[in-house]
Amino acid sequence: MSVLLEVRDLHKSFGGVAAVAGATFDVAEGSITALIGPNGAGKTTAFNLVTGFLAPDRGTVTFADRRIERWRGDAVARAGLVRAFQTARVLTRMSVIDNMLLAGKDQPGEVLGAAWFVPRRVARREAELRRQARELLDLVRLSPLADAMAGTLSGGQRKLLELGRALMVEPRMILLDEPMAGVAPVLAEQLVEHILRLRAERGLTLLIIEHDMDMIMSVSDRVIVMDEGRVIAEGSPNEVQQSERVIEAYLGRLSPDGLGT
Amino acid sequence: MGLLNPAFWTFVAVIAGIYAIMALGLYVQFSLAGLPNFGHVAFMAVASYTMAILIVRYGVPLPLAGAAGIGASIILALIMGVPALRLRADYLAIATVAGGEIIRYLALNLPDLTGGPIGSIGLLGPGDIATYNQEWQAFLDMLGRLAAPIFGRMPSRDLVMALLIWGLAIVLIWLGWLLERSPWGRVLEAIREDETAAVAVGKNIVAFKMQALILGAILAGMAGLLLAWEIGVFSPDDYQPTLTFYAYLILILGGMNRIWAIPVGSILFSLMYTGTRFLNFYPLSLFDSGSRAFLRLFLVGLLLVLFMAFKPEGLLGDRRRLLLEK
Repeated sequence: MSVLLEVRDLHKSFGGVAAVAGATFDVAEGSITALIGPNGAGKTTAFNLVTGFLAPDRGTVTFADRRIERWRGDAVARAGLVRAFQTARVLTRMSVIDNMLLAGKDQPGEVLGAAWFVPRRVARREAELRRQARELLDLVRLSPLADAMAGTLSGGQRKLLELGRALMVEPRMILLDEPMAGVAPVLAEQLVEHILRLRAERGLTLLIIEHDMDMIMSVSDRVIVMDEGRVIAEGSPNEVQQSERVIEAYLGRLSPDGLGT
Repeated sequence: MGLLNPAFWTFVAVIAGIYAIMALGLYVQFSLAGLPNFGHVAFMAVASYTMAILIVRYGVPLPLAGAAGIGASIILALIMGVPALRLRADYLAIATVAGGEIIRYLALNLPDLTGGPIGSIGLLGPGDIATYNQEWQAFLDMLGRLAAPIFGRMPSRDLVMALLIWGLAIVLIWLGWLLERSPWGRVLEAIREDETAAVAVGKNIVAFKMQALILGAILAGMAGLLLAWEIGVFSPDDYQPTLTFYAYLILILGGMNRIWAIPVGSILFSLMYTGTRFLNFYPLSLFDSGSRAFLRLFLVGLLLVLFMAFKPEGLLGDRRRLLLEK
């Protein structure tokens, strides 16, 4: 498998506190990779750096053979690297279907004035996007709620909507930040199923920050462990689970989070 | 002028139409894109001054001078937007307040360019009375002659102007409505609700906000030109920050997120604003007319507070949307 995302010696400090301090890792195309580590290890900051929401102090990020560490977040997303957030950021005052349509690609109607001058082209693309959005809502089982305001959805449903919306961008790779946090067990099971299906059917690459060890063990091919802004271990779920350094990193600070049990 | 004088009400209709276009510009920026522009009046000022200076000093034909005025509004939007749009919305609010006042102070203090405190009349220097709107009046007269058979007599200039402006306002609002419902409007709505989410799905939010700022500036510039042509003279005092707040009040009266409520808001506002001159009965008659003129400012402020407190969605707005948390 070739490398889709390559992170080298990434650094980011906030007022003297190094959140990410020399993180280096690869994500193989078509893999499901988990990024784990104790609280404050720099996982979310690493996500923000990779997706252009923060600019690194130093280091490189290469996605699909292009250097992207200085790109803006929107450009990274359009290049096919799309993220979801720890707390799902759905647009609460817009309908579920509008949340999906917003993320549609190549809508000429997003050019100012296109609605006046080429309304047919806009309407044609809109119809295509609507079909695509319906299919994806079926996939994440939100179709019955298509016309509801996203603000009326539960936390778990919002995570599903955010996942569906990310898929509307037609990404090559998705970054999920704690997809299981605050999700009811039934929905969580669905989420795991969706993630596995996405990889199988669409060849999608996934990088997932997660504390839920059951999920990590059941879905991921590889696990990257971060602590204090660096990668301290890497390997298959089993290898990582038995690594002394990893156990130490977890036991040394907070609760073991199920590791080593 | 009395309550029953039709010429007075025609004038009110003209002003209401111009205010509707001005408020539409703010609607695009504030209601659609969520940009808090507190210097809307500056776009009107630079358009009017550019137009008048080109006509008076350089004999530029009116259509060309008007286009240049709009061009000046666009340049001002770029000057305000390029640094401020990358930052949080609060910074734009500050930049636009400052921008609006800077333009007014420049107009006051650069008499060689702007005629100084006496305004457009002084554009040719002391002793010469400068006018810039003969061509506009000739244009209205031409339209009036064309429309005369319909009315059975020659309509007044103000009546022609009122019809022209309301026709224009309705067309512009319709175009704005099409935009609001288009995918472009959807992206702006998303930016207004949550910029981060919009970025995450690949939208270049700075570019979209800049487009909204410029489009609003163009509309404000048009309103500024029409107001200048209607009144015939202007001075820096006509571009006080209060004018921007009138635009906000028009949006609030009608309903912040209802584009078709803008004409309703602007008519209500104009009635209220001009209506205060008829408040000459006891006990208000105890004040002289100059003091009574201030009543309208009190009234504007009071209404703004009452609406925000009791009917934040405006007369025609949708309350349910306000209730959903962001």
